[in-house]
Amino acid sequence: MQRLGFMERGAPPIPLGLIFLGAFLIHAPLLLMKLPLKSYDTNFHIFFASHYSHHWFDPWNAKWYAGFSQTTYPPLPQQWVAIVSRLIGLDMAYMLVQFAAIVLLTLGVYRFSKLWVGARAAGYAALASILLGSEAFLVYSAGQLSTTFAAPLYLNSLPYLYEWMRWRNWRSLLKGSALAVAAAAAHHATLLFGSFLFAIPIVALAIIDVRESRLAHVGSFIIRTIFVTALVGTMIAVVLLPFWIALINYPVTQVPIPHPSRSNYILNPQWGVNFFLVPYGAMILALPFIFMRGSSSPRLRPLLLGFWVAFLLGLGGTTPVARMLLGRAFEVLTMERFAYWATLLALPFIGLLAEELIDRYKWRAVAGLTLAAGMTCAVAVSWASFRPADAEDFKVESVAGWLNRDGHDRYRYVTLGFGNKIARLAVLTNASSVDGEWNSGRMLPELTEHGAGALTSSKYFGKNGLDALSAILQHADRYGLKWVFMKDPYYEPLLVFSGWRKVDDLENRTITVWSKEAVPPATPIDSPQRPLAWEGVLWGILPIGSSILAMLLVLIPDRRWAGQTVVSDSDKAATMPSAGSESSPANDDLVLGRIS
Amino acid sequence: MTGSRLLGIILIIATVVLVVMGTIHPNQSGAMIADSRARLIGSASSPQDAVNNLMQQIGRRTWEAAYASLANKGEFTETEFVRDLNGNYGSLRSYANLDGFDSQPLRASGDEAQVRARMRWASVVGIFEDSRDLRVVRNGSQWEVAWPIVREAKVPPQVIPVNYLRWDVVYRGAEDDWGAQDVEAPHVRIIAMHPVDRGGGVVILGEVLNEDVVPAFVTVKASLLGSNGSTLATEDSFDKISHILLPKQVSPFRIDFRNVRLSQVDSVRIQPSANLVAASADPVIGIEGQKLTPLPDSSLTGSLVNQSGQVVNVAHVIGTFYDNKGQIVWVADQYPSRALLPQTPVPFTISLPADVSNKVGSYRVVASTYSSSRFQ
Amino acid sequence: MRSWVTLLCALIVVVTVPGLAGHASAQASDLRFPQKVEAGTAFSVSTTGSGSATLYIIGPGDTIRRVVHLGESISFGPDDLHNAGHYVAFLVSGSSTQNAQFEVTASHQAATLSFLAKPSRLPVNLPNGVSGVAYVFDIFRNLILQPQQISFELSDSSGRAQIRSATSRDGVAWVKMNSAAKAGPAQFQAEVASVRNKRVIQQVPGDPCSIRMTAHGLGQKDKARVALETEPVRDCNGNPVPDGTIVTFTETYQGGQSMVDVPLKRGVAKTELPSHNGAVISVASGVVMGNEIRWSGGL
Repeated sequence: MQRLGFMERGAPPIPLGLIFLGAFLIHAPLLLMKLPLKSYDTNFHIFFASHYSHHWFDPWNAKWYAGFSQTTYPPLPQQWVAIVSRLIGLDMAYMLVQFAAIVLLTLGVYRFSKLWVGARAAGYAALASILLGSEAFLVYSAGQLSTTFAAPLYLNSLPYLYEWMRWRNWRSLLKGSALAVAAAAAHHATLLFGSFLFAIPIVALAIIDVRESRLAHVGSFIIRTIFVTALVGTMIAVVLLPFWIALINYPVTQVPIPHPSRSNYILNPQWGVNFFLVPYGAMILALPFIFMRGSSSPRLRPLLLGFWVAFLLGLGGTTPVARMLLGRAFEVLTMERFAYWATLLALPFIGLLAEELIDRYKWRAVAGLTLAAGMTCAVAVSWASFRPADAEDFKVESVAGWLNRDGHDRYRYVTLGFGNKIARLAVLTNASSVDGEWNSGRMLPELTEHGAGALTSSKYFGKNGLDALSAILQHADRYGLKWVFMKDPYYEPLLVFSGWRKVDDLENRTITVWSKEAVPPATPIDSPQRPLAWEGVLWGILPIGSSILAMLLVLIPDRRWAGQTVVSDSDKAATMPSAGSESSPANDDLVLGRIS
Repeated sequence: MTGSRLLGIILIIATVVLVVMGTIHPNQSGAMIADSRARLIGSASSPQDAVNNLMQQIGRRTWEAAYASLANKGEFTETEFVRDLNGNYGSLRSYANLDGFDSQPLRASGDEAQVRARMRWASVVGIFEDSRDLRVVRNGSQWEVAWPIVREAKVPPQVIPVNYLRWDVVYRGAEDDWGAQDVEAPHVRIIAMHPVDRGGGVVILGEVLNEDVVPAFVTVKASLLGSNGSTLATEDSFDKISHILLPKQVSPFRIDFRNVRLSQVDSVRIQPSANLVAASADPVIGIEGQKLTPLPDSSLTGSLVNQSGQVVNVAHVIGTFYDNKGQIVWVADQYPSRALLPQTPVPFTISLPADVSNKVGSYRVVASTYSSSRFQ
Repeated sequence: MRSWVTLLCALIVVVTVPGLAGHASAQASDLRFPQKVEAGTAFSVSTTGSGSATLYIIGPGDTIRRVVHLGESISFGPDDLHNAGHYVAFLVSGSSTQNAQFEVTASHQAATLSFLAKPSRLPVNLPNGVSGVAYVFDIFRNLILQPQQISFELSDSSGRAQIRSATSRDGVAWVKMNSAAKAGPAQFQAEVASVRNKRVIQQVPGDPCSIRMTAHGLGQKDKARVALETEPVRDCNGNPVPDGTIVTFTETYQGGQSMVDVPLKRGVAKTELPSHNGAVISVASGVVMGNEIRWSGGL
């Protein structure tokens, strides 16, 4: 059993500044190339941001589903994109916010890992987070800005909350709470599901540490834990009040929409590659180490169990666990985010493994680990090219131009075969569509009654998708739906037999425009889901305000603890300060201004 | 140390067990349609297992494996097998996905059995069924399906002379004098209309005639009006009509209203709209051998014969059913799954509700067509 | 809209000009315009008094400002006032303002004719099926409200013409005429004072009349089928029904039926159906039935 701290081993931890530089060198060029624009959801987030940039205090967006409320989706990253877009445009603003999330992740992983392992291993974990397959997969292939934005905030929040629970550090309480609220304002699924996977191991760790510390008062620890839970819960309830109002009044009761991440990855190996091999990459080789090492150290067991649960959930329909634990939510959530969280929870183990391998094999280990991590990242980044979100890349500017001229935008439209380009089109055009990509926000009965996603991809949802498409085409008059833009000729027989006529073509005849006669111009849908004016004001102030508050609070210097020593995991419990001292170890890397 | 690693070993074993459980008894209801049907292909130890395995392979489009599992693969090529299921010439089958299937044993002996497989295919215009009675034979300990191949008809190379007739339209220009005439919209007329109460809703049945000398693109919209004159609901005929009507051509139409009772309806307002469109008089489709099949499988069957030289990728058959007094009692339709090749009959079956079947005295069938230039 | 603009301008002039005119030194005078002036005619208006003044004339689409010498007559050329309508004139001199109102009427001379003919396509032999509406304008595009005698002539493809005349009222004249018995493009012309405008009306055949078909076996070529062919299909006036018109052949036999919708090509419809002994074959087009044949040559 190694019991030496890094000072004794002689190898210093990697400076955080170097880790940030690594994040910059790896991700800045990729983001400057706007690689995420090829992903599934990037344009979706840009579309939301576009709405905020024009209507900051009105979350009712008329461009999709004949009108839907953006309070159904926490707004923080999109609002930041909207703000930054005033300076550098929407696309680059998205890249900048995404880059901020990547840098925050390295810091969050470092701080989170330091709760479990030594500073040197935590540094390796932070370095690994730059090349993490699941992060690259979510950023460049899935385009999940909100997930990748919320997770770092949680990871940065948890060490503060740990400090509060253990040492009643009020500054930590303020900082941790503010960061947790900002994380909730960034992504609801991370709040509702991911937060437990991260928070429960931390609470368990605090319990272990408190019990091992003879001077600790278990009663006061419990009170502090309940207090912080109640405080953060209340703050989240207030900051996201319009979201809760929308969720309670209009819960997601629509027929579940299929998603490949819920399939069995062994029976459907193509999805196994997509949702397991690519996100985990070389980390798969470390799984035995994670299980063995995690179980051998009592302090690491909560982290191991948290990882294991997230790992099983991330396997989607490969095991019955996700369906049993999540219940109805299994058919609403997509599972790749659990794999992402599992890899984040695994990073402290990876840091530990790297530390031991480097100590033992020196440069050979460095080379091997670099190669493995580099390959993992490379495959995940390039996955968007191997398995692109759109079968064919094409421009939608001509479609937007067509809609914006000659009064065509007085009517609504739907696209067929446009994939996730519909969000890009929605940004560019003034016209409104009955389709959209935010399934939880839609209320049109023709869409909610059938278990299918976007109409533009109806054929991939089989009978349900085509039934939804037929239903909406049948009620074209009701919604002022006059235009259909068809990229995929698969749908042509349906349009021909149901009374639509080809009126124009675009993009060298690869896109045809279809019209229906005698459709009245679109009128605003008088929807009860429309948020009230005061909800719009709250939505425009509180989420973004919570993030600004968190930034300001984090800048408050921490109190230094004189006896700080960072040690390896096995020594950690022994070297932690006693609870009786009521002072927490200062973390010299916590203040952004003092990082380098 | 062994004890301290016990948790890890337990978790690894539990993970493996859970993965095995999830794979042997998969529940993938939240997955995509094609993926959710994925099962481990087990050994075909019974005739029904063999059929189920084959259906799964067809559903997942693993043609090579499906073909390899057949008992009579020597009788046809894999291409012919795929074409039998997947169609050709851009027919509905070409774009359809297997949405589900049932298998029902018909009879069995020691070495041979017969199983009926009903495949439901989801196409862009709706579901169509394909039922096959499969002979399953024992081969050692395994059962194998002898696939009853339906070979796509082949049209011999020939030249079919066609007097091609079509209408093109030049509309009024934007810079024309305001008094200048535009081309007149075609005149169409509703020649029959009959509302019926059915299935918790109201159905408007009727026929529309193009009484003009030019082709018309026709849509029929109907509004149900309540006793106070208010509009209860408005719907249109969608695909239950032949939208392009050539001069003097008649099409049935059916407009379905859900959740409205006929007793609530005071009057019906029918609004046919017609636009002059460019159209072609071809192809001509003969509807031959029409026969009413009585209960329990009440239906109208027949075959479509493409009398022109142009391939029809998708055809739509709409039947109007009249009682003995000549009043319309039902309008139903079907999309045959195979393309119409020149002079090649393609069967169709229009299902009839059981209660309507007894009332039918006569019927009339029209066919409309879709030909994509991509397949010519 | 135009009258509102006129009124607004007048109000502005009435309110502002007297104040401005306070600096002028002229003596007030009378302003006498003729009550009616024909558009495009020259005329003059006499003034009295001395000194200079400013004349404002405000009308539909026209506003004129002119400095005049009081005591001299004011001349207007043919191009000065050409929009028909109500005009207001103000003569501002010193602190006094005179005003007068007069009408500008359209010229008597018709220059253009706008002609609406409806429908552009109709069946033959339809009483009062064609309507023509003519609007008469002068050279300045003023609607001539004085009654004008307008002649309408509808001549069919064989040259036979129907002529009607109508007197315009408030600038509009209209007639209704019968479509001819002969199909083809008809010239529909409206004329006033040697100004003409012409439209083309397509007179198309009516419903088919007395459709007759014949049936014969295909012999050795295909014994299982019967060939059906109509005689040239005409309407009740003898006009050939246009190609593309659908003719429906229906063959009814024991327990079954075959049918086909065939478009007329070169005046006839022909097809082949399965041959059934004893089958009854009928022909129809739209709601018009033709003859029936009992086929006894089948299999």
